[in-house]
Amino acid sequence: MSLSQRQLALLLIAPGFALVAALFLYPLCFSLVSAFTGPEGGFSLQAFAKAWELYSGDVVFTVVIVVASCLLTALLAIVIAGTLTLGENRYIVGTLRALYRWPLFIPFIVAAQCMRTFLAKNGLMNNSFVAMGLMEPLQAVSFLDWRGIIATFVWKQMPFVALLLAGALAALDRATLEAGRNLGASRLRVLVELALPQVMPQLLVALVLSFVTMLSVLSVPMMVAGSQPTMLTVDMAFRINAYGDYATANALGVITYLISAGAAIIYLKRGMAKEGTP
Amino acid sequence: MTSYAMTRVASGIRMLLAAFALAAFAFFLIGPLLNLVLWSVAERWYTPYKLPVTFGTRYWEQVFRPTGDAMASLATSVWIAVLTVIVALALSIPAGYALARLKLPVRSLFMILFLLPQAFPSVAIYINVARVFYQIGINGTVFAVVLVHAAHGLVYSVWIAAAAFAAVDKDLELAARNIGASPLKTFTSVTLPLAAPGIVASGIFVFLESLDEFTGTFFVGVPQVTTLPLLLYNAAQGGNYQVASITALILLVPSVLFMLFIERFLRADVLAKVGS
Amino acid sequence: MRILTLACSLAALIVASPLSAQTLNVASAGDQNMVDYVKDYLAPMFEKSHPGVKVVSVGTGPGDAGSQKIYEKLDAQKSAGAADFDVVVIHQKGAGLMVKEGLLAKYTGNVETSKLVSSATATNSLGADVGGFVIPMFQSQTALAYNADMLKAPPATYTELKDWAKKNPKQFGYNGIKGGMSGVSFVAGWVYAFGGDANKLIQGPYDAAEKTKWDAAFAELKDFNKSVVITPGNAGTLDMLNRGEIAIGPVWVDMFYSWQADGKLPPNMKLKLTAPGMPGQPMYYAVPEKSAQKKLAEEFIALATSPQVQADGIVKKFNWYPGIDAKHLEGKLDKAAWDKLFTDITPAELSQNGKPFPIAPYFNDILEGYEKKVAN
Repeated sequence: MSLSQRQLALLLIAPGFALVAALFLYPLCFSLVSAFTGPEGGFSLQAFAKAWELYSGDVVFTVVIVVASCLLTALLAIVIAGTLTLGENRYIVGTLRALYRWPLFIPFIVAAQCMRTFLAKNGLMNNSFVAMGLMEPLQAVSFLDWRGIIATFVWKQMPFVALLLAGALAALDRATLEAGRNLGASRLRVLVELALPQVMPQLLVALVLSFVTMLSVLSVPMMVAGSQPTMLTVDMAFRINAYGDYATANALGVITYLISAGAAIIYLKRGMAKEGTP
Repeated sequence: MTSYAMTRVASGIRMLLAAFALAAFAFFLIGPLLNLVLWSVAERWYTPYKLPVTFGTRYWEQVFRPTGDAMASLATSVWIAVLTVIVALALSIPAGYALARLKLPVRSLFMILFLLPQAFPSVAIYINVARVFYQIGINGTVFAVVLVHAAHGLVYSVWIAAAAFAAVDKDLELAARNIGASPLKTFTSVTLPLAAPGIVASGIFVFLESLDEFTGTFFVGVPQVTTLPLLLYNAAQGGNYQVASITALILLVPSVLFMLFIERFLRADVLAKVGS
Repeated sequence: MRILTLACSLAALIVASPLSAQTLNVASAGDQNMVDYVKDYLAPMFEKSHPGVKVVSVGTGPGDAGSQKIYEKLDAQKSAGAADFDVVVIHQKGAGLMVKEGLLAKYTGNVETSKLVSSATATNSLGADVGGFVIPMFQSQTALAYNADMLKAPPATYTELKDWAKKNPKQFGYNGIKGGMSGVSFVAGWVYAFGGDANKLIQGPYDAAEKTKWDAAFAELKDFNKSVVITPGNAGTLDMLNRGEIAIGPVWVDMFYSWQADGKLPPNMKLKLTAPGMPGQPMYYAVPEKSAQKKLAEEFIALATSPQVQADGIVKKFNWYPGIDAKHLEGKLDKAAWDKLFTDITPAELSQNGKPFPIAPYFNDILEGYEKKVAN
């Protein structure tokens, strides 16, 4: 019985696996080979040494940006999804529901473009603040640096995480939450202590997906912020476009991979262990 | 009585605060999009003016000019996105079920495997994919583009489908089996409908991911297959804000329509669940 | 069952795709205006004189990245039957690479208009011999764009600029080297100005020891960077000029004019070509070796490089410097259109301060030197 179930499982997963293997793993091998091959052929870590020498700062920059963006996204998404599920004012919930998903539709490249004219020193945001009298024109600062990248990522990913989280929260047993409310717990407590722990797996799924997506986006760091320091995708593109240096670019790709593998493992350990394997 | 009035005042203040927070949120959410709309009708806009100097539809005419191919590209984009969703779901429903419900050897490895295409900045990958596709002669077909998009979007559909299946109450399945339903019947009439909202949600993301994709389309589709992001990419990278904004607004249309339709579907299902 | 239907519909799709044989595919590395130039201007003209032919114009993105994509695509097709592109519009670096890899056809002998080009860039692309493989589409140049309202007398030399930037912090902006070629060009100009012999870098031959002479220049640049704004990309520099956040910055002259025409730059923006000079480069028309429509491609390029098209399309419509020699445009163009090219930068300044990029190995040394000593 158990054996046949295993076979069935492998059979079911095979088509998806085949697609990824053919269109991703196989071509990836070429990249790995290129990353670990020296200029004269043969195994070498030279590409990694070069990647580290030139871009160590950008590795740290990338990790900091992506982690910060994920944390902020999670926080905002929890507030939104929590309000949507537990909010009592019909109008606020309705408005929020109509609003929060808009950026979800926007491709990254468009988001980047919106943001670079919105967040600039004399951009629409600062101009609006000045017009509303909230700020003096001289106080205006440009956000087109790491803050701009984080803002764009959060703006774009927050609806995604909130959508998944709101879905998970809506599927929870209302009775438990109501019981909590009836016992006198505030909505915040119900959210943090009762609801959130139950939807942790979904939150983690959403965050890990956001994490790796942010890692692989080129247009946002390229268009929103100046290039010193910058994210690894920009360095990869530069390595290829300026020098035709695929080895170092692929080495940077492998580093990106290790970072995302880290995130994936955290997810798999925490999320799935709690749910219990079937 | 006074305490009642106090509560009223307190809740009034809270309302006000909430409304203010909502307004600020709306500004940060909608502001950048408003910027997009402004740019799409700005014929001249430069310092020191805070708003466009002249408004007009010149660039709309340019995008929709007879030789422009915005609408055709849009149709191709949507068509590819729909096919991608079909392929991705066909692959991920069985895979998701296997991951969530069945005993699978090296399960976590499989999970990470589907994540990989999303994580690797992919120019290097697509060059090699193109090489293979040229050899078997499918480069430049919609089919090839759909395959590439599906591989890229598979992580959304597989992961979310797995989570959706995992969330289905096993007791319900057991109950169905107990009244004599076959495993397949149980799956199609109990498990799948219950997991449907999650699966639909995963479809949305595959759809949007496909609509947004540039690099893969370029390497395996161009020049025979042209999608809207290909037009958008040039315009946005080169700083042609008007054309890029208009293209982006066009891209919004299918997404919004799709989303409205999905929204209805999701709601009905969630409501049904509340009753059961 | 579902899988079966799916497989069938997919199979139907594969069959449904091929296009008619008389399609001429033109790929342009460059901004949208270059793609549109082919699509709206050249294509209708060519289709009229060649009934039954359809011209498809695709863009691959601006800058060297766009040319690199064309290279990668042609390279991936090496072992396939025919190339996807019949005409490619590429940058210098890409041209050298593609010729070296044997991806381009030697075609200029079959095109009469190639005789109208005498400039060195038609045969020499960053030190690579591309004679016979390319004809320039247009010549472009980087220069400093400045807001004449904020800045009455722009710095005339790199040295003046260096001092000016120190006195006016955050008023000069450029895009580093990873965000596009206008920043790269500014850095190359910096090395020309402070790093020794510019002519040696432009003409070669390559001497690996040369780069050790640039350390002081890079150290100064690092210091200079502290008082400037690093902008996001070529467009980012123009963007900040648009909003008045910086007063001056390096831009491509052709982009500058198209932004001004699109109403995205204040009318009082001007250009200044700083001494001792900043680089410029041509865009090339080339034909892939494996193009299935070589003859059509040659006819297309012949049309595109004909004096009338160069006069009307390149100079008058887009304010680009012509790819073929200027003397062949005489009589094809009214004086006003010609003079407009040289409103801010006179022909004398252009010939004196408009430099080519360094040859490829020096070029790479400069970029890598910048990454190691300035950005890091």
